Amino acid sequence: MEFGPIIRALRRNQIRFVLIVLQIAITLAVVTNAITMIHTEGKKMDRKSGFDDDNLLWVRTRPFSPAFKEQAYRLNVVGGDLRAIAGMPGVVSVANTNFLPWQGGGSSGEVAVSGGDGSKFRTQEYTTTPAILSTLGIKLVAGRELRESDINDNAGATDPSTVVISRSLEKLLFKGESAVGRQLLDGGGIDNVVGVFDPFYNPYGWPIHEYCVFYAGHVSRRGALYLVRTQPGAMKNVVSLIDKRMLQVNDGRSVDLQTISDIRDRYFAGSRIVRGGMTAVIILIILVTGLGIVGVTSFSVTERRKQIGTRRALGATKSAVVRYFLLENWIVTSAGLILGLAAAYALNVLLVTKTSGAKLEWPFLAGAVALLWAQGIAATLVPALRATRVSPVVATRGV
Amino acid sequence: MLAYNIRIAVKSLRRNPVLTAIIIGGIALGICASTTFTTVRHMFARDPLPGKSDRLFYVRMDNWDPHAPYPTGDGGGKPIPPQLSFRDATALMRGSNLPLHQSMAFQSALTVYPDPKMARPYSETVRVCTSDFFPMFDVPFQWGGGWGRHADTTPEQVIVIDDATNQKLFGGANSVGKRVRLDDREFTVIGVLKPWRPFIRYFDVFGNFVAPPDAMYVPMSLTRPMLLRTTGNSDGWKTIPLPPGAPPTPQQLFDAFIESDIDFVQFWVELRSPRDREAYQRFVDGYVMEEKKHGRFERPLHNELTPMMDLMREFGVVRPEITAMAAISVLFLGICALNLTGLLLSKFLARAPEVSVRRALGATRGHVFLQHIVECELVGLAGGTIGMLLAVGAMRFIGKLITTTSVIGLDAEMIFAAVFLSLGAGFLAGLYPTWRICSVQPAVQLKI
Repeated sequence: MEFGPIIRALRRNQIRFVLIVLQIAITLAVVTNAITMIHTEGKKMDRKSGFDDDNLLWVRTRPFSPAFKEQAYRLNVVGGDLRAIAGMPGVVSVANTNFLPWQGGGSSGEVAVSGGDGSKFRTQEYTTTPAILSTLGIKLVAGRELRESDINDNAGATDPSTVVISRSLEKLLFKGESAVGRQLLDGGGIDNVVGVFDPFYNPYGWPIHEYCVFYAGHVSRRGALYLVRTQPGAMKNVVSLIDKRMLQVNDGRSVDLQTISDIRDRYFAGSRIVRGGMTAVIILIILVTGLGIVGVTSFSVTERRKQIGTRRALGATKSAVVRYFLLENWIVTSAGLILGLAAAYALNVLLVTKTSGAKLEWPFLAGAVALLWAQGIAATLVPALRATRVSPVVATRGV
Repeated sequence: MLAYNIRIAVKSLRRNPVLTAIIIGGIALGICASTTFTTVRHMFARDPLPGKSDRLFYVRMDNWDPHAPYPTGDGGGKPIPPQLSFRDATALMRGSNLPLHQSMAFQSALTVYPDPKMARPYSETVRVCTSDFFPMFDVPFQWGGGWGRHADTTPEQVIVIDDATNQKLFGGANSVGKRVRLDDREFTVIGVLKPWRPFIRYFDVFGNFVAPPDAMYVPMSLTRPMLLRTTGNSDGWKTIPLPPGAPPTPQQLFDAFIESDIDFVQFWVELRSPRDREAYQRFVDGYVMEEKKHGRFERPLHNELTPMMDLMREFGVVRPEITAMAAISVLFLGICALNLTGLLLSKFLARAPEVSVRRALGATRGHVFLQHIVECELVGLAGGTIGMLLAVGAMRFIGKLITTTSVIGLDAEMIFAAVFLSLGAGFLAGLYPTWRICSVQPAVQLKI
């Protein structure tokens, strides 16, 4: 191998190669940290709600007809809506509820176990008609689902209500015992737990993402709200028809629709920007560094035409010439990568301390090193192959 | 002289179009990435009310449960409720005349009944606020203005509408003095806003702070008569018990809500000086000590006056990931500059014989320096221009991802920064290669 001549040649063009070394070092630092950021955001986005998100639709009605001031009128309209929506082709299930997944919040309150030590636990709390579990696409794991007969629209503040709770909340409150048949105390009255469901995940400002109580009831006071689950592929059709159907039930109100996948996309907009931006930066940086290596190697080939010709005239094969340039580049790249490892760690420490980023992981570092080695070889190959076309005759021309 | 140098620089660039394209493309990508991501960060981080924001203070009081502190979120945050109860905000507002302006506000929704010829009735978000909201946050008016302070104590059915609502209800004409029905009451339009879309909703950074400002504004004094409820966040740990037995009436529900320790009102004060700030802090503390005597505010005394920019930081308006992206994109520009140096060095040194001939014919080092640095700057400017055009496209795209109603664009500050960066990158990257070519010894090169 031509280590000796390569090192001596590198020394003659120190600055040019120092520049490449620095460039590769920073490239490694940026690429590894960018991959780490993509990975961190990806992990956030991979968190599943457990619901049939892609087939869920949120419907909000806002009444303007004065008749909606009467509770009986409102409840009559809710009943009409539920029948009309459930009867539409492509609709699997519908619930009248104030629960909305992926909005980044919701409503919450504190509950305590009746007969317990009195300690209070914060949980998400929503009101819903019985079809909520089939609408979200989650399972009942104990007890029974809510029933129409559980709903008391004329309940006073201290009257008991009927609830189902999430399994995570059951674990938190009852420490392994069954919640079915037990009672919770909220601010006003007693809640009878009749069932437990799983899974449930809805990100909230506070760490109560998996805790939920569903109260049996109707949501109509300030405009009825619905969650609708469609059959796969039927969303478009349902969206185009549902508001007309609902205005046929009652046109003293406005109806807006949003798909849960749109709401989830908005929730993850920041993560998508980071992922997209960092992916673009990685691709561009590899492109720019690659073109830089092509450019500099091309010049060194042009510059050394005479030397290459002389070597060929003295018996060096074409592959020996290619090997020379590849080896030269490999040495430069490796020097850059060694420096880059230090730079990657320094940048990571800075990002972790200043912007609460995630720590580097070894596999990403190894992957980035392999990637940059491959890039170095690929970028050198084009000018190196051009060097093989230098004819030995060049050696005999001029001085 | 400069024209001549530019001409030969262009000639030199055209001699090797592929290399020139690589060089300019590299700079363009660097400028595009760094401008895009620093602008995105700048949109979130910049001061929305320069020169004024440090005098605007957000007031918080710890009226939470004596048994447990206010729960903090996943990302930390202070253990103090982010908003005030209606009764406390009202008491503070009436209790001190120290602030230049004071604004109580919350978000609600009302049904608008337009002229049936124009549109169907619809529900719209309304900011329920006091008169000072408009001067305090520099809300721009097209016609008319806000209401006077008397409307903060005596309910008046007056309304300020934004430009879009004015288009929808009145076809865009000056509608001051016109009437519009909201819920079951008639309101008189007293002000129409100019088209107004701050990127950050700086007067309300809770929840979706990139949402557009509200469409309509009505006096806070209407809260009780119209039983207005918040549609924004509300936090509470204790509610006044409702009368047992029959289902509560809307009035009973409203009274319980408004008199309880339920926090939903955002309260800002504008204070003239640090001395006033201390005095106001004493006033708030004094109010809480007095309330403690009546059995409220059972937690340790904890009241905060937070300047606007600090509040924006505390509530995570600038996401750390965005800062990290901006930092990484600037490093990317650094790589592009290094790349440029390498390429220019090779390019210039290959030209040593030619430069030697010029030197031998009498060109000074200064001439050679100027010629080459002009070439570098030309490359920098071309790359910078293309990069900025790319950045405008990239920002449109990112803006759509953040919010559908506003466009992130370059402002004068960022354009200036981009021009400076591209010239700087061209100069710094070109300096070493230019110096090398200037120090070429003509004699060595000319020897044949």
